[in-house]
Amino acid sequence: MGLGLLASRAMRPLKYSNSRVFIRSIVSKPELQSPEASSAAAATALEPDLPPRSPVGGARVHFPNPEDAIEVFVDGYPLKIPKGFTVLQACEVAGVDIPRFCYHSRLSIAGNCRMCLVEVEKSPKPVASCAMPALPGMKIKTDTPLAKKAREGVMEFLLMNHPLDCPICDQGGECDLQDQSMAFGSDRGRFTEMKRSVVDKNLGPLVKTVMTRSSVPHNFWLNRCVRFATEVAGVQDLGMLGRGSGEEIGTYVEKLMTSELSGNVIDICPVGALTSKPFAFKARNWELKGTETIDVTDAVGSNIRIDSRGPEVMRILPRLNEDINEEWISDKTRFCYDGLKRQRLNDPMIRGVDGRFKAVNWRDALAVVAEVMLQAKPEEIVGIAGRLSDAESMMALKDFLNRMGSNNVWCEGTGAQPNADLRSGYIMNTSISGLEKADCFLLVGTQPRVEAAMVNARIRKTVRANNAKVGYIGPATDLNYDHQHLGTGPKTLLEIAEGRHPFFSAISNAKNPVIIVGAGLFERKDKDAIFSTVEAIAKKGNVIRPDWNGLNVLLLNAAQAAALDLGLVPESSNSIESAKFVYLMGADDVDLEKLPNDAFVVYQGHHGDHGVYRANVILPASAFSEKEGTYENTEGCTQQTLPAVPTVGDARDDWKIIRALSEVAGMRLPYDTIGGIRSRIRTVAPNLLHVDEREPATLGPSLKPEIKSEMDLTPFGSAVENFYMTDSITRASKTMAQCSAMLLKK
Amino acid sequence: MAMKSALKSIRERGLGSFLRELKEEGFLRALLDGNLMQTKLHNRGATLVGVDKFGNKYYQKLDEQFGRHRWVEYAEKSRYNASQVPPEWHGWLHCMTDHTGDELLMLKPKRYGLEHRENLSGEGEEFIYHSKGHFLNPEQRDWSRYQPWEPSKKE
Repeated sequence: MGLGLLASRAMRPLKYSNSRVFIRSIVSKPELQSPEASSAAAATALEPDLPPRSPVGGARVHFPNPEDAIEVFVDGYPLKIPKGFTVLQACEVAGVDIPRFCYHSRLSIAGNCRMCLVEVEKSPKPVASCAMPALPGMKIKTDTPLAKKAREGVMEFLLMNHPLDCPICDQGGECDLQDQSMAFGSDRGRFTEMKRSVVDKNLGPLVKTVMTRSSVPHNFWLNRCVRFATEVAGVQDLGMLGRGSGEEIGTYVEKLMTSELSGNVIDICPVGALTSKPFAFKARNWELKGTETIDVTDAVGSNIRIDSRGPEVMRILPRLNEDINEEWISDKTRFCYDGLKRQRLNDPMIRGVDGRFKAVNWRDALAVVAEVMLQAKPEEIVGIAGRLSDAESMMALKDFLNRMGSNNVWCEGTGAQPNADLRSGYIMNTSISGLEKADCFLLVGTQPRVEAAMVNARIRKTVRANNAKVGYIGPATDLNYDHQHLGTGPKTLLEIAEGRHPFFSAISNAKNPVIIVGAGLFERKDKDAIFSTVEAIAKKGNVIRPDWNGLNVLLLNAAQAAALDLGLVPESSNSIESAKFVYLMGADDVDLEKLPNDAFVVYQGHHGDHGVYRANVILPASAFSEKEGTYENTEGCTQQTLPAVPTVGDARDDWKIIRALSEVAGMRLPYDTIGGIRSRIRTVAPNLLHVDEREPATLGPSLKPEIKSEMDLTPFGSAVENFYMTDSITRASKTMAQCSAMLLKK
Repeated sequence: MAMKSALKSIRERGLGSFLRELKEEGFLRALLDGNLMQTKLHNRGATLVGVDKFGNKYYQKLDEQFGRHRWVEYAEKSRYNASQVPPEWHGWLHCMTDHTGDELLMLKPKRYGLEHRENLSGEGEEFIYHSKGHFLNPEQRDWSRYQPWEPSKKE
C-alpha cells in the first residue's frame, strides 16, 4: 500500500462510529443444528424468496387483448403471459434462458433439436418447450434433475456426429454448440463408432460450408438455414435431401445461393457448418474489436458492428434494430469490407502538366486548390457531394461554397431539380417497420430487392404474414415474393390514377395501402409530373390519412436524405456545362461529359474510382469506417457512424479538409470541432441531431402546388444495375466483384 | 590391415590417384582435425549403412558401446555441422528408428515436401533467419493493411 493511500485512509472519517464494524462476531444458530428445526426452516424457504428475475434480453410482453392473459408458473414464479405463447417464450419472460438450437424467434418453429426440453408437472415426459404452447396453470420446471438429464442426453446425441473441429473452426469462440456443451453437456462421450461425414457444398463466393459439422443424428436437423432461406430470404435453394442418417442439407442442383441476404445464414447457423468465406481463417473472434456503427452502402442505414483487428476491418456483422434491419443485413453490407482496403487514396496528389499524378503534401495541395478557386467566378464554382457523404461534411461543403459566392451544391443521385422543400416528398413516410401493417403495395419504378434489400425483406415479411398484394411498375424483375407486374412505365401509372386499371380498386379497398416510389425517378426530366400522378393516386386511394401515411420514396444512397434535409439543391440545372471549378466530395457517378475541358476538378474521397480520372487534384479523405459522421436513412432516422479503424495514409476527415481549405482560401468557416459543425446543422436541420430517432415529416404533399406537366411515356429504368457494386467501396471490393461475376451471370 | 589395403589400392590405381583420394577423403585434414581423425579411426571395421544425397556416410558398429554405435561422416570435411544431416537420416542416427534414411525417403511427401537445406546462419547476413517483419528480412513483409491507389496504373 502506497503512502498516499495510507494517508488518505487515515484522513478519511470513519463511516461507522459503531464498534460493531471492527469486531465481527461469529454467531451459530442453535435452532438449525437440530434436524427437525432445520427441515421446518427449509419448508418455509420453499416459498419463492429469491429476487425476481428479469426477462431474458429485456423481453417485453405485449398483450393484444388483456382478457387473453393466462397464468403459468415457471420454477414456482407465477407469471402472466398472453395466450398463444410457447413454453419457451414464457420461460424467457420469466428470466430463464432455455438452451436451444433449432428455435429462432424470427423463423418458424421446427422443434427438432430437442435441446429445449423442460419438465412440466403432470406431463409424463419432458416437453420440447419451443413447440409447446403454454396452457393456463401450467407448472414449468426448468431446473430439475429430469430437465438437466434430458439436456445432457440431447447434447450427447448432437455431438455424436459432430467432428472435433473446434480448433480449426471459424465459429470457435462464438459457437452455440461449444457454449451449450460446456454449460449443459456431459464431460465425456460414449460414442466409439465412426462419425458420419458429408461432402461440402459450394454455396457461392460468400458462404463456406463444412457440412460434416452440421450432421446431427437422424433428422434432428437444425435446419435454421433452410427456414431462413425459404422464409426470410425467399429463395428455394436450400433443402433437405435423403432420409435418416443419410439426410443432408443441399442446394438441389448445387445451385449458388442467389439471395442478396445469403450472408445471414452465417449468423443464424448455431454450429460452424456455414461460415463466412472471405473471413475464413482470417481471425479469431476474441481478437476483434467491435465498433457499433451503421452501414452506408444503401439508404437503409442498417445497424452494423464493424469487427476490426488493429488497423484492419476484419468483418461486418448486423446489430439488432427492430425498426430498420431487424437482425439481418444484406450481402453488400456484410462483405463489402475488403473494398475498404483496396484502391485507397492515401496522399494528396496534383496532376502535373504531363497528365500524371504526383504526391504532394497537404499544404501545397490546399494552396493550389484555393488559388484556382479564388480565380474562378462564383457562379462557375460547383460542388457535388458523393453518395457516401455524411451530413457534417455536406454542411461544411455547402457553407464553404456559399461563402465563395456559389450556390451550386448538390448531392449526386438527387437529380437536377430535387424537391427539398417538403420532407414528406423524399422520405419513407410509413417507416420501414410500419410497412408490416400494410396490406397492399404499389412499387413505382423501384426494385427494392436491389435498391434496399432490407426494405425488400420487410415487404416480403408482410406479404407472407398478411397476404398483402404487391403491384409493381417498372422493368421486369424478380422480386422474391408474389407480385403483379402491372406495366413498365408512366402509362400504367396514368391508368391507375384515372381509375381505369384493376389495381386501383386493390389500392382503394385496402386498409393500409402503401405506395413506394423509387429515387431512380429523381433523374427523370418528368419527375414532377410522375410525382403529382402518384400523389393523385394517393389522394384517390385514400393512402394518406391522419393515422396512416402510405406514400413513400425509397432513396438509393446513404447521403441523399441528409443532403435534401440540409438543402443541397443546385441553383441551376445546367451548372456543370459552365463550370470552371468542380469540387467532387466523393462523387463518382456524376456525368462529367459536358464539363468544359479547361475546368479544374478537385476530387476529395477515399477510393481511386471513377471520379479520380478527371480530377486535377486529389485530396484523400476517410471512409465511413474511419470517421464519425451523421447519416439519415430513407425513413428519416438519423444515425451516426463511429470510427472503427484509423484512417489510411495521410487521409483526413471530409469536413476537416473543407475547413482547412476554407482557411487557406481566406473564407474561414466558423467551426473547429465536430460539435461546432453540429450546432451549425442544428440551425439548418435540427432533426439530424436527434440520433437514433425517426423524425416523421410534418407536412403532407397536399401543400404542393399543382403541376401541370405531361409525363414522358418512356418506361422506367432500373436504378441499380448491379446490386453488388453501387459505390466506390463496393466497386473496389474483390468479394463483390466475384459475386457480381458469379451470381449476376444468367 | 589398413596398410595392406592401402598398398593394394596404390598398386591398382597408382600413387597419384591414391594421394588425391587420401586428400578428398579428408585424411590430410584429419591430421589437424582431431574430431575427423577420431571418426576415421572409428570407421575401421564399421558397416556403412548408407550414403545420403549429400554424400554423408552413415556407419554402424554394433559391438561399440550403445550410443556410440551409429555415427555420420560428413561429406563436407572442413565445415561440417549437424544440420547437414537430412531429416530422413536424423531418426536413424539418433536411434529414434531402425529404418534407414533410404527407407524413410519413401515417406517424403511428393507435393509439398521441401528439399533439406543446412542451416547457414553464421555464414553471413543473408543466411541468418529473420522473422517475417524483421528489418533485415530480405522478403520483409509489408505491414500496411491497405493497398493504395496507384495513379500510373490506369493512366
